Amino acid sequence: MKFGGTSLSQASKMKNAAKILQKFSASNKIVAVASAIGETTDQLAAIGELAKKGDLKRARKLLSKVQASHRKIVPLIAGKAGTRELLERIEQLNSELERTVEGIAHLRELTPRSRDYLLSFGERLSTPILAETATATGLRTRPFTGAEAGITTDDNFGEAKPLVEISYHQIRQRLEPLWNRKVVPIVTGFVASTVDGSITTLGRGGSDYTAALLGAALAAEEIWIWTDVDGLMTADPRIVKDAVLLPNVSFGEALELSFFGAKMMHPRALQPAAQKKIPVRIKNSSHPSVNGTLVSASELPNGGKVVKAVSLIRDVGIVTVSGTGMMGSPGVAAKVFQTLGSNNVNVMMISQGSSEATISCVVANKEVDRAVRALQLALMGQGFVDKIAEEKDACVIAVVGSGMKGTPGVAARIFTAVARRKVNVRMVAQGSSEYNVSFVVSHTDGAEAVRAIHEEFNLGH
Amino acid sequence: MRIIFAGFGTVGQALIKVLRQDEQRIVQAYGFRPQLTTIVDSQGSCFDEAGLNIPLVLKTKEKYGTVAKYPGSGRRNDDSTRIISDSDAEVVVETTPTNFKDGEPGLSNIKTALSTGKHVVTANKGPLALAMPALLELARHRNRRLCFSGTVGGGTPFLDFAAKCMPGERIARIKGILNGTTNYILTRMENSSLTFQKALAEAQKKGYAEKDPTNDVEGFDTAAKIVIIANWILAKSFSLRDVDITGISKITPRKLRAAQALGVKVKLIGRIEESSASVRPEEIRADDPTCVPDTLNALTFSTEHAGDITLIGPGAGGERTASAIVRDLVSIRKEYAV
Ligand SMILES: NC(=O)c1ccc[n+]([C@@H]2O[C@H](COP(=O)([O-])OP(=O)(O)OC[C@H]3O[C@@H](n4cnc5c(N)ncnc54)[C@H](OP(=O)(O)O)[C@@H]3O)[C@@H](O)[C@H]2O)c1
Repeated sequence: MKFGGTSLSQASKMKNAAKILQKFSASNKIVAVASAIGETTDQLAAIGELAKKGDLKRARKLLSKVQASHRKIVPLIAGKAGTRELLERIEQLNSELERTVEGIAHLRELTPRSRDYLLSFGERLSTPILAETATATGLRTRPFTGAEAGITTDDNFGEAKPLVEISYHQIRQRLEPLWNRKVVPIVTGFVASTVDGSITTLGRGGSDYTAALLGAALAAEEIWIWTDVDGLMTADPRIVKDAVLLPNVSFGEALELSFFGAKMMHPRALQPAAQKKIPVRIKNSSHPSVNGTLVSASELPNGGKVVKAVSLIRDVGIVTVSGTGMMGSPGVAAKVFQTLGSNNVNVMMISQGSSEATISCVVANKEVDRAVRALQLALMGQGFVDKIAEEKDACVIAVVGSGMKGTPGVAARIFTAVARRKVNVRMVAQGSSEYNVSFVVSHTDGAEAVRAIHEEFNLGH
Repeated sequence: MRIIFAGFGTVGQALIKVLRQDEQRIVQAYGFRPQLTTIVDSQGSCFDEAGLNIPLVLKTKEKYGTVAKYPGSGRRNDDSTRIISDSDAEVVVETTPTNFKDGEPGLSNIKTALSTGKHVVTANKGPLALAMPALLELARHRNRRLCFSGTVGGGTPFLDFAAKCMPGERIARIKGILNGTTNYILTRMENSSLTFQKALAEAQKKGYAEKDPTNDVEGFDTAAKIVIIANWILAKSFSLRDVDITGISKITPRKLRAAQALGVKVKLIGRIEESSASVRPEEIRADDPTCVPDTLNALTFSTEHAGDITLIGPGAGGERTASAIVRDLVSIRKEYAV
């Protein structure tokens, strides 16, 4: 089970996490994964940037805040005996962290390698604290860094890719024996190392990825992600009052939901679990008895409903490339995506006009200008493309559910429901997965469209 | 090509002789001269940057039982992983004893070699049986070869056959007899009504079975080969723990006779199916091509379009294994020009 940063953000939450560990370890073999406490990772990243600019004063100030917050929590969670030892450990890490920051400031250089090293302190600090908190409740624990637990990656610092077979082998070798001695291993999320032992981080999806890798290696029955919400909902409850918790979704559906903005696991993190068909349960650490949402390989319909959830992504724009010369020039579409890709513009949706004379891409608002500039440079003046247009301030509505495939008329119902509320659909995605239908509306219409669909498909029971 | 030997027993010594005998041919045909720069055995090591003096090494080993007495550079009690990581050699030939509990010392030797950028040729099945997917991944990551022709079918090239003669063919299942020792024992029990113990003793006397026959008769050797075949030919991430293993020590002559009456024979069969693998005594029809006698091995590939294809041949011995290792060295040379 993995505890997110919000589930460890203060002493009382730490204790709550320890209680959860104690409760479930009575009749289960458990490995715990700890995220960095609260906002630590963001703070460390900020410290790194400040140090790189040579602003050692502000870097130090933020640094002492991070150090103090970890120091402060110790006497609140540990027993008498544990306190001294843990404090020593924390101070040791704190001074190592300090030296790292000084080093970055001296060199005025923050390489991906040194950034990973810097960021790793978040989890390296939180993990011994969670371990000691659990020890104080009478549990036998042992803290591990991801590297010590056996997670090995390639040398792609910043977003390292695990060498899964090596990792699986080492994880089994190192963690399984602890269970026989009734010890709960507590592993740093997010942090791993290369074959040579340099610290790497797993990038987006970080700690969840760690949990999924450990679960897959150890053939866990379930992987639990403790967070601050009850699970995935049929819609954002701030938009739809009667939105309800989804008891189960498939990996495919989860992928769509996470892609379309639901606050949950990164698709990358789900992969090891999906591959080994290990269900992932999202649970609320403040309400441990609530079952949460189970993400699994089975595509259970939600009480016979074809649609499971509808989500809204705000702040997107549409970039449209058009030109009569595009008809019958097959290379243009490829060139568009290649250009956007090499300029780090993330394309969320595409649509091509039936006449082949236009291609529209949905991208984040803040990337619209970059996208337009790049496309102008790459495509204009070659005779194919006449115009590159942009529209900002739109939003994407994604309707997700595995039951949609093979059920005729779902799209018609969606668009009729939306039209009835006088919402104008600006663009429809083509050929995306069979698990979802997505389309773009003006940002003023977004909430209304979500409510229309939620109601049409009776998602709120 | 500079080579480190980790292990210098039957196979290691046979290899050194083959390399010496075939030196001219290898130089002429492939343009490289394998140069043995380091040898490690259980007691120590010896080293010569310019290539060890092979007759002297053999004589030293024979006389003292260890290369640690090699004049000049012989040393006692060295740590083989340190020697491997410090060395500039390009290839490690791993022939230490098979260990199915933790794979050591071979597993650490291979990990160290690949991590420090050396190619590996192993005849030792232990590390592969326990961690083949991980070791292959490490080799890929470091862009080095991990060769193991000597581990399965050193005598009959099952691995190369499947890889080279059946590309594009979908192999659905594989089954076979992969251990000559147990096949000999079962044959003797059946033909002469010997008890398991008697047949085992006879196999040991003939040099087919080792003093401690556990790995053979309990099915671990066959299982290790099954793991290697499953990974290499069928791209399955299996290790020893995924194989359901039963040996032959509980089989009685009576059971074999009862089978005989029904026109079937009991053989120790290794099997790979879609998502499982097993090693256990099975009854197979006497006219099944997989059903071979004595120390022979046989492997049947069940393919989607070409039906069943069976390869029959001798099991491995020291010299055959050595020649498989030479094949591996040549293929490394061809690919990497080391
Ligand atoms: N013989 C065959 O027909 C055959 C066929 C296929 C595969 N294999 C496999 O090939 C491998 C070698 O077989 P073999 O018949 O040559 O075995 P072997 O005669 O027992 O030789 C093993 C060698 O490893 C050395 N060794 C043992 N522990 C060591 C350590 N900790 N560090 C370094 N060296 C160590 C031994 O040293 P000492 O010399 O000091 O004892 C010996 O030189 C085995 O894994 C076997 O399963 C053998």
